[in-house]
Amino acid sequence: MTEPSNWFERDPLWFKRAVFYEIHLRGFYDGNDDGSGDFRGLTDKLDYLQWLGVDCLWLLPPYPSPLRDGGYDISDFFSIHPDYGNVDDFKLFVDQAHQRGMRVISDLVMNHTSADHPWFQESRADPDGPYGDWYVWSDDDTRWDDARIIFLDTEPSNWTWDPVRLQYYWHRFFSHQPDLNYDNPEVQEQMLNVLRFWLDLGIDGFRLDAVPYLYERDGTNGENLPETHAFLKRLRAEVDARYTDRVLLAEANQWPADVVEYFGDGDECHMAFHFPVMPRLFMAVRREDALPMVEILESTPNIPENAQWGLFLRNHDELTLEMVTDDERDYMYEEYAKDPRMKLNLGIRRRLAPLLDNGRDEIQLMHAILFSLPGSPVLYYGDEIGMGDNIFLGDRDGVRTPMQWTGDRNGGFSRADFQQLYLPPLMDPVYGFQAVNVEAQLRQPNSILRWIHRLIALRKDHPVFGLGTYEALRPENPRIFAHVRTYEDDVVLCVHNLARSAQAVELDLSRWQGSVPEEMFGRTRFPAIGELPYLLTLAPRGFFWFQLRKDESE
Amino acid sequence: MTDERELIEFVTSQRWFGSKTREVAHSQVVDRATLRQDDPRLELLLVEIRFDTGTHETYQLLADETLDALGDPRHVRELVHMIRSGAKMPGADGVVEFAPVSGFPGELREARPVGAEQSNTSIVFDEELILKVFRRLEAGINPELEVLRFLTEHGFANIAELYGWYTYAGRQMDATLGILQRFVAGGLDGWEHALATMSGDADGFIRSMRRLGEVTGTMHSTLGSDPNDPNFAPEETSGESLGLLTATVDEEIESVFLDLPDDVPELEPIRGRAEEVRERLRLLTNLGGTGRVIRCHGDFHLGQTLWGDGDWIVLDFEGEPARSLPERRRKRSPLRDVAGMLRSFAYVASAAPLQLAVEPPPGWESRVRDEFLAGYRATVEQSLVPSGAAMNKLLSVFELEKAVYELRYELNNRPDWVQIPVAGIVRLLEEEVPV
Repeated sequence: MTEPSNWFERDPLWFKRAVFYEIHLRGFYDGNDDGSGDFRGLTDKLDYLQWLGVDCLWLLPPYPSPLRDGGYDISDFFSIHPDYGNVDDFKLFVDQAHQRGMRVISDLVMNHTSADHPWFQESRADPDGPYGDWYVWSDDDTRWDDARIIFLDTEPSNWTWDPVRLQYYWHRFFSHQPDLNYDNPEVQEQMLNVLRFWLDLGIDGFRLDAVPYLYERDGTNGENLPETHAFLKRLRAEVDARYTDRVLLAEANQWPADVVEYFGDGDECHMAFHFPVMPRLFMAVRREDALPMVEILESTPNIPENAQWGLFLRNHDELTLEMVTDDERDYMYEEYAKDPRMKLNLGIRRRLAPLLDNGRDEIQLMHAILFSLPGSPVLYYGDEIGMGDNIFLGDRDGVRTPMQWTGDRNGGFSRADFQQLYLPPLMDPVYGFQAVNVEAQLRQPNSILRWIHRLIALRKDHPVFGLGTYEALRPENPRIFAHVRTYEDDVVLCVHNLARSAQAVELDLSRWQGSVPEEMFGRTRFPAIGELPYLLTLAPRGFFWFQLRKDESE
Repeated sequence: MTDERELIEFVTSQRWFGSKTREVAHSQVVDRATLRQDDPRLELLLVEIRFDTGTHETYQLLADETLDALGDPRHVRELVHMIRSGAKMPGADGVVEFAPVSGFPGELREARPVGAEQSNTSIVFDEELILKVFRRLEAGINPELEVLRFLTEHGFANIAELYGWYTYAGRQMDATLGILQRFVAGGLDGWEHALATMSGDADGFIRSMRRLGEVTGTMHSTLGSDPNDPNFAPEETSGESLGLLTATVDEEIESVFLDLPDDVPELEPIRGRAEEVRERLRLLTNLGGTGRVIRCHGDFHLGQTLWGDGDWIVLDFEGEPARSLPERRRKRSPLRDVAGMLRSFAYVASAAPLQLAVEPPPGWESRVRDEFLAGYRATVEQSLVPSGAAMNKLLSVFELEKAVYELRYELNNRPDWVQIPVAGIVRLLEEEVPV
């Protein structure tokens, strides 16, 4: 053995304990001074990510693309976008991440390609050629009109007329993203080849983008069809048979009852995002009411032992409000998108800190709740330092501005000329790189970055957060969101005050009578749990996490 | 024979068991390989120890009818024979591979265990070979093997050459299990040498420190000499690397002070002074350049050196046993090693009265420091370290980091020695910040 073939201890459930970190490669760090982030730059920043303590890096699509949809319009599945480097740069990055104990997953869009993809160009040019049947063509643009339009702001229909082939083609997203035809076995086989290609290069898994829409069927809305699940099962079987400790993470922006289908019987995706939790978390904090949280978790079905929810506060897309009721959506717009520019499709295109009016207590409270819930948290780059957004940039670019490393030129993101940057960095007095950057926050013991670092470390010491059971406590005070997580001998009590004012709460902890709650950040011991309800007082937007220790001293 | 309770009892009572402060909940054998079928039978076990919070550690055990086969010379000889022959022994879920480097002495007669080890078990053969068996296993390559091989290949002479090693590659993990290297006979470790000369030829020892500084400087120059090996190529520090260092040390200070017990009077000089220490750290980390980062020794102190035939040998490239493997493999400023050695001088100066009732000669520590640093400065590749005041500041930062690390270690392991890191921290607080 000169080099070990594997830098990890075998751990098929690693993703259940992991903290994920979503990276917009273009915006992370520019390693070759051309104004755009790349793999060399990202490799340079691995020490930072190792320090931060995240376990798995999730990359937005790094493949060649005309970039009309942030790279989700892929024009070659077997290569790296030249702006980011090449496949060797990618391999070096993955290897260096592995050596530092971090895994890497990448976005993969299976539903569609860019219209620039050679497959589509062949398909439109020659209906009888080898690619003629790789996309979904029709003479009738009224077919499947039960399927909703997702990009409401830009697309009038899911069909677009192609003047070359003289037919309509089907697309669930932008008209420059034609859907692949999964009824064609060649398409299925080719997509398996794509997965094998990257898995063989050492990648630890995929976030499967837009996964509910692979098939179309008459009389349905074209989402979550049995054929889609069958194909995902085939994909999982392939991954399990040939590779170890890899993960498939489904992006299915659906209600939990539909999303759980993507876990199958533990034989489909390992993980899926829990979309409806996120808007309700924002609602709970704004309304000072635990009910939206308690309810959504109650209505979340059980999932297989070997599966896990992915939980997040914000990501590279708009804060999506597809999975809320109309009333709830109106409420969210009213509270969080006062400027109409902040809205996009059915959502709000803002980052975490501005959504919370840059409130430090609120940012901490939201992270604490996120980290305490059953699931694996996914952080979005820049949110760990409380970066802002720029709502005057188009589409979702406002939340994809350059990472702010230092107070120097271009925020330390790039040595290129300002005009060359893919997007301008934030420069406003509150969120600009002079005020908000990694370097300064590393040196400030009380910075949000240092706090999040501690939070991650704490979570990693306690697998209970990723693996344990969840049980809501229902205190009389509705402003308190409290629950207990249990795994093996580790019992953790999490109590969060959603209110802007100090609150007292009485918790029924009689089952743990005799245990001593030890606050987990400062390791302070609180009075032992007795027969009476346990009384706690919490600061405004404050929270406590306690490890319930069986008292050995008595 | 591998009953769970028996496993737990055996592992947790061993000196090399690293997590004595934690509660063990379960234990199981995750793989086993039969190394010798015939009598006396020898088995290698990978044992998982699970703690009450659900985390776990994996340990290497060698078993005959007991769990402690390394106590039997016949078994350890067998291990060396297997290294020599490059044996491959299958386990249930993996393979144990033995690999020789080159010829080493033939017949093995006497085997004796080395006492007083922290995290491994070592056996010396005929005063010529030493086999080091790693107990706690982590996925990846052990830096001891990695660095020894690199230094051997790059012609650094002041080490005990590598003769072979053995590894496990399997379902559970790929890990280094042990190494075989030259035993430096008649060598006196730097710690003992310092103590022994404290009331005798102290001047001779002090002079030898210049040589140790030179050896250290050359070691770092060698470690940073190969830009083509990505695992060793020296790297420029990034914009936030000083911030990362500050944050790391600062958090360590905060966490150690949070855990200070109330009933240890030796802690009085620093009790309640956490903010002062952190403030000092911030002052010290206001510096310009930090030099470059390279792979280092990782746990450099007098006890890791051997004095013999008028020269120094550097031992044990494993890094600090309490840190994770990715952490131990990180490239860092070589000054971190230098600071480790400086702290070690303070340690031995304080240990002399405790252990031998001997006071070091006046000015002993500062003379030792000066000699060592002079030798180091003269030999280390200049681009690796910052110059002038920045070098002194960065050294102080690492000395502080080390003293805080020592404080935690002594509190957990040797409460009688707590006063040594306490004195170190107090001194760093009272010193003038280099300008």
